[in-house]
Amino acid sequence: MSDIVIDIADVRKKYRGGVEALRGVSLQVPQGGIFGLLGPNGAGKSTLVKILTSIVRPTRCAGIMLGAAIGDKATLARVGYLPEHARFPEYLKGGEVIRYVAGLTGISSADARQKAGQLLEMVGMQDWGNHKMGTYSKGMKQRIGLAQALVNDPEIVFLDEPTDGVDPKGRLEMRNLLQRMRDDGRTVFINSHLLGELEMICDSVAIMDKGEIVQQGTIAELTEKSRRYELKTRGTIPEELKHKLIAAGAEIGGEVISVVGSDPEPIQPMLDALRAEKVTIVELREIRQSLEELFMESVGAGGVGGTQKRSTPPQLPGKELVK
Amino acid sequence: MRQVMTILWDSYRLLAAKKLFWIVLFLTVLIAMMYASVGFTAQGVSVLFGAYELKNDLIVEGSMFAEYLYMMIFTDYLVPWWLGLFALVLALISVCPIFPDFLKTGSIDVAISKPMSRLSLFLVKYLGSLLFVAIQVLVFCVIVFIAHGVRLNAWNLEIFWAVLLLTFVFSLIYCVSVLTAVLTRSSLFSLLVALLVWGVTLSIQWSESIMYKATYVMPASGLSINMKTGETKEAGEELDTSSEMEKFYGIVRAIGMPLPKTRDATYLLRKKVTVRGKNMTMSSAFLEDEASASELLEAKAMEDYDNRHSVAYIVGSSLAFEVFILGIACFIFVRKDF
Repeated sequence: MSDIVIDIADVRKKYRGGVEALRGVSLQVPQGGIFGLLGPNGAGKSTLVKILTSIVRPTRCAGIMLGAAIGDKATLARVGYLPEHARFPEYLKGGEVIRYVAGLTGISSADARQKAGQLLEMVGMQDWGNHKMGTYSKGMKQRIGLAQALVNDPEIVFLDEPTDGVDPKGRLEMRNLLQRMRDDGRTVFINSHLLGELEMICDSVAIMDKGEIVQQGTIAELTEKSRRYELKTRGTIPEELKHKLIAAGAEIGGEVISVVGSDPEPIQPMLDALRAEKVTIVELREIRQSLEELFMESVGAGGVGGTQKRSTPPQLPGKELVK
Repeated sequence: MRQVMTILWDSYRLLAAKKLFWIVLFLTVLIAMMYASVGFTAQGVSVLFGAYELKNDLIVEGSMFAEYLYMMIFTDYLVPWWLGLFALVLALISVCPIFPDFLKTGSIDVAISKPMSRLSLFLVKYLGSLLFVAIQVLVFCVIVFIAHGVRLNAWNLEIFWAVLLLTFVFSLIYCVSVLTAVLTRSSLFSLLVALLVWGVTLSIQWSESIMYKATYVMPASGLSINMKTGETKEAGEELDTSSEMEKFYGIVRAIGMPLPKTRDATYLLRKKVTVRGKNMTMSSAFLEDEASASELLEAKAMEDYDNRHSVAYIVGSSLAFEVFILGIACFIFVRKDF
């Protein structure tokens, strides 16, 4: 198992006025992957990240980040952060913003200058580094935000809604950048409500609701219990065979035969038996729950700010085995 | 140190990006150049680099009175009225949004998630904001210094006390703005509260000053005033002070004691700069040899007036106010959840 870079237990935050944002959050984040923190609006995701980056003081917090206690200022030199709705001085140019943040982190002027050039190129802003922030689009500002978060070569990068306001092309580029960060060995911690995007890139996730972690693990682990194989047939299945299949653990609904589990072995004799009876097999698919379904199941339809449970089930991601 | 320099440099960039900074700087340079255009000839005073000449027997090239007048224009008019009042208001308007903007969500997060203590961040940001006034006054003082050197051959480094004193005066008002900003994150509100506090302190200082003159300076100068008719009489000798007036003055002074002494601190410059070894509060030393007894009496009374507050009282009580206000602001900033 990978090393754990963030290991916190029983993190609580009660704001003045009585709002309890976090109600005993325990979380482990493995090193060198992309970790997604999901949750509806108001779940406490941003508060948790702000506690980890010393922006918010916890009411109670036990745990470590990069081997030091949470709140240790020196550790923040090894951490990068892009806040939600990041605002950078409009009077500065893109390159200057990166150098400014480098300076706050204690990086020498010469190194900051060199690093700014590299990062501008990395985020595709090399031609815009000498333009003022005030002239940038939202997507360009986010790119600069991402670049500034990487200026200190951080071991952990916290990104709070990094694709917020970014167009589809920008999102694709952002995903590629995140994967590149992971390939460089960094731990990327993303807060987002864009489940489809997280599903594409996250190695592990935690789902948060009402200040608590309700699910945590790799996407494969979390969707394991929902995995099944679906066989679509054409023609009548003899009653005797139906009984045999049901006895073997299959569920039959019309022309669809479902077998719960991730092991494909039990499917093989069923396929043989169906073929022997000359039943046409149209399709065999491996089915697992999508992250969105998992999320909805974890937090409930009412928990998602503004989101309602769909009346028709979403298209499940599947891996076609036979068609 | 790198972090401190980064914040200070950013403060400069912020000021340089403000049009008001350059407008005030332009006006400051213009006023300083007008001052520098005044010179002295054997016949009197020349203005606008010799374009006009005002004949005077006393204020001529090489005389002590010329030096005194030239310095007095700087210490009694330009510093208290332009740099110490109008330019300071413009500076406050320009600088007030710095903390509210800095404290906005999405902006503050980046700064405080860095390996720098909140205390250092706050204090350096505060000091950086004072650069507006420090730069303006420094530019002004450099021109005045050169003017004194060229016009009077008096290369007087004491002129640069104005930079320290006016930056200090500005900080006394600005700290109120910062506290309001930390509490409300509103630029407009922090400007209004700072102006209000400044207005109140100025009113009390002016009241105290007027009360002192009426209670002590006038009797010491041999002048009495009829409060009903407003008629002034010259006795020609020192008069007794009224115990009622003394009591009233004591109340006004006590009210002003915990407040910042912006006006008094500005006028401290008169104690710090000298002409031929005598500071600008020593009125009697700059009188003509033929000065009358009543003129001497009045000059002595004015000397007492100028020196009625010690430097320790003015700086100490003002500094205590600033430390108190800034301490609260800093405490809130350090403990605040952003």
